[in-house]
Amino acid sequence: MPSIVSQPRFAGLALAALLTGGGYAVAAKVAPADLVAPISDYKIYVLGEVDILISETQKLVDAVKAGDLAAAQAAYARPRVHYERIEPIAELFSDLDKKIDVRADDFEKKEADAHFTGFHRIEYGLFAKKSTEGLTPFADALIADVHELKSRIEALTVPPVKVVGGAAALIEEVAKTKITGEEDRYSRTDLWDFSANVDGAKKIHELLKPLTVAADPKLSARIDSNFAKVTAILTSYATANGGFESYEKLTKKDRTALRGPVTALAEDLSHLRGTLGLK
Amino acid sequence: MTTDDPRGSCPYKPLPTGDGQGLSRRNLLKGVGVTGLALGTAPSVEARIRDPHPHPNGHPPEADNAQPFWGRHQPGILTPPQSAAVLAAFDVLATSREDLDRLFRLLTQRVAFLMSGGTPPAAADTFPPADSGILGPRIHPFNLTVTLAVGASLFDDRFGLAAEKPRHLITMSDFPNDALDAERCHGDILVQICADRADAAIHALRDLVKHTPDLLALRWMQDGFLPPRPAASSGKRETPRNLLGFKDGTANLDASHAKVMDDLVWIRGQGGEPAWMAGGTYQVVRIIRQFVESWDRTPLQEQEEIIGRQKETGAPLGLRHETDIPNYASDPKGGKIALDAHIRLANPRTAETARSRIYRRPYNYMRGTTAAGQLDMGLLLVCFQSNLTEGFIAIQNRLNGEPLEEYIKPVGGGYFFALPGVQNAGDYYGRALLEAAGPVPSTRVSANPKA
Repeated sequence: MPSIVSQPRFAGLALAALLTGGGYAVAAKVAPADLVAPISDYKIYVLGEVDILISETQKLVDAVKAGDLAAAQAAYARPRVHYERIEPIAELFSDLDKKIDVRADDFEKKEADAHFTGFHRIEYGLFAKKSTEGLTPFADALIADVHELKSRIEALTVPPVKVVGGAAALIEEVAKTKITGEEDRYSRTDLWDFSANVDGAKKIHELLKPLTVAADPKLSARIDSNFAKVTAILTSYATANGGFESYEKLTKKDRTALRGPVTALAEDLSHLRGTLGLK
Repeated sequence: MTTDDPRGSCPYKPLPTGDGQGLSRRNLLKGVGVTGLALGTAPSVEARIRDPHPHPNGHPPEADNAQPFWGRHQPGILTPPQSAAVLAAFDVLATSREDLDRLFRLLTQRVAFLMSGGTPPAAADTFPPADSGILGPRIHPFNLTVTLAVGASLFDDRFGLAAEKPRHLITMSDFPNDALDAERCHGDILVQICADRADAAIHALRDLVKHTPDLLALRWMQDGFLPPRPAASSGKRETPRNLLGFKDGTANLDASHAKVMDDLVWIRGQGGEPAWMAGGTYQVVRIIRQFVESWDRTPLQEQEEIIGRQKETGAPLGLRHETDIPNYASDPKGGKIALDAHIRLANPRTAETARSRIYRRPYNYMRGTTAAGQLDMGLLLVCFQSNLTEGFIAIQNRLNGEPLEEYIKPVGGGYFFALPGVQNAGDYYGRALLEAAGPVPSTRVSANPKA
């Protein structure tokens, strides 16, 4: 088993019957040894996702460089799934995250800014300009960046607090931007990213579930139930090729229906660290 | 010439404006038939019984608290922050130096009046009123300050001022965590309006806008709020909290230390800066959205580690009192206060960073909701410094990458230079700048100002 876990610091609080005002259990005494398996399983998951990120990005890059617009457009959404699933770890490398995933909004000059690169710069070319022209340098940079990301993750000692907190962070992303369709504004493939963020959060929850159930079974059950509600709505927009409909198809009713469980998930997942006694 | 009064000295009385009377016959006649609720009614028996402090407009005595307009330095910089603020940036529509001069004189006249109060001129009913009437027929100052600053763009080729541009004044450029919205950034002129009441601030803004239709175009605006200042007699002033729930301003420079202000805030006409700048200061505005829902879902301990202070007391982590000074030299690994804690990065308290400090005068703001249905609120940061590069820019460069960035997003604002104060009746905003620039080199009228 790879020795990649750093020892978390614990409060040493005994499991208490007390509930906080919000109905959450006070920190349980989770032994460091209990976290070793989930954290190492999570790193294996992340590395697996990064490998697919690389191979799917390569398909996108190849199509762009071959000048095949249709193939490039078809290849755009899939690699992003594997980035958005592992965002809590990818974001630890903020320079790379910016190069790979930055959106035009973040710049005063918007799409014209020289620092607008990565997936969304390519998306802009493919779906707004409807051409592969001029995209080769961005494609080359992107495949180099995802390889660099893999090297950095391999070398990383994954901090347990980042893993446990990562589930909440992914859902915060959804609540803040994915739910409005701001992420993939040219291709409208936001539902792919939305679903990927949810996948990533769910994976973390699943890996920690034996511990969460032991510490606070009601919390765990609530999280399960809200994930199920979100997934059910997203699944109704799934397409045959394993993808999702255009964001435009998401009805106002469904967007509203998503907000409750998404916000509730954000609240519940934000209590995971405390519930598991992690500092 | 330095002054010990942080608000600026007041060697001359303000120009008298308006007729200074609230109880003209006209006002009394207008008062007849209006219900007792309306501001501006004549004092009545009912009003005296209801209000133990009868006052012509129904305003309390504090309405006439006023800040001095005249002085070496502008008001609203070291003035203790009033509870209501409006920051408004404008594009200058003037196309000639003459018109720019006219603009500055006009603004001087308006601000001098607004800050002292009085009665606006009456006109026939068939005309739009000269005044918005928000404060009633008589303007009470409510501690109003108006502070005028100029942006780098004013020194372009329109007015022949380029040679006099403050050396450090640039157009704000984005930092790594910024998501600057072009529609909420920059401007030829910035006006900072503060008062004890929001209606007094709004009244001043509308007055300036109404008087400058051909000279100024509003570019962006953000209002802000703070708790009301305690009455002078109540002594201890509690540090106000920002919308992250933390005390904001504990380690601010002390406005009552004149030497520190002269060194780190005011331009003294040396250091390679044009002489006309003496008495002014660089002003930075940053509109910083705070992701409050996400912050409110963050464990308290993490919040405190990110900031570097205890939330409840404001004490630096590991110390007991709000005003205790952290000893970073004895904490080189950041075991007590993390190396990337906000307060530690902002002010590392080393000899090298001693000059890299600013005078902060922030407000909280709230402006609705985002497309995602989250709350759009945050910090309207305003700060002053004698050297923009050593001050805000150096500090923000230290802060880049701080853990707090997960919860904040700067979206607007700009870099400006707050003009020297208006010293007497012969003086006006920008006079020294225009005189230093000399006559315009040619008679060309510049192209249309940028949108």
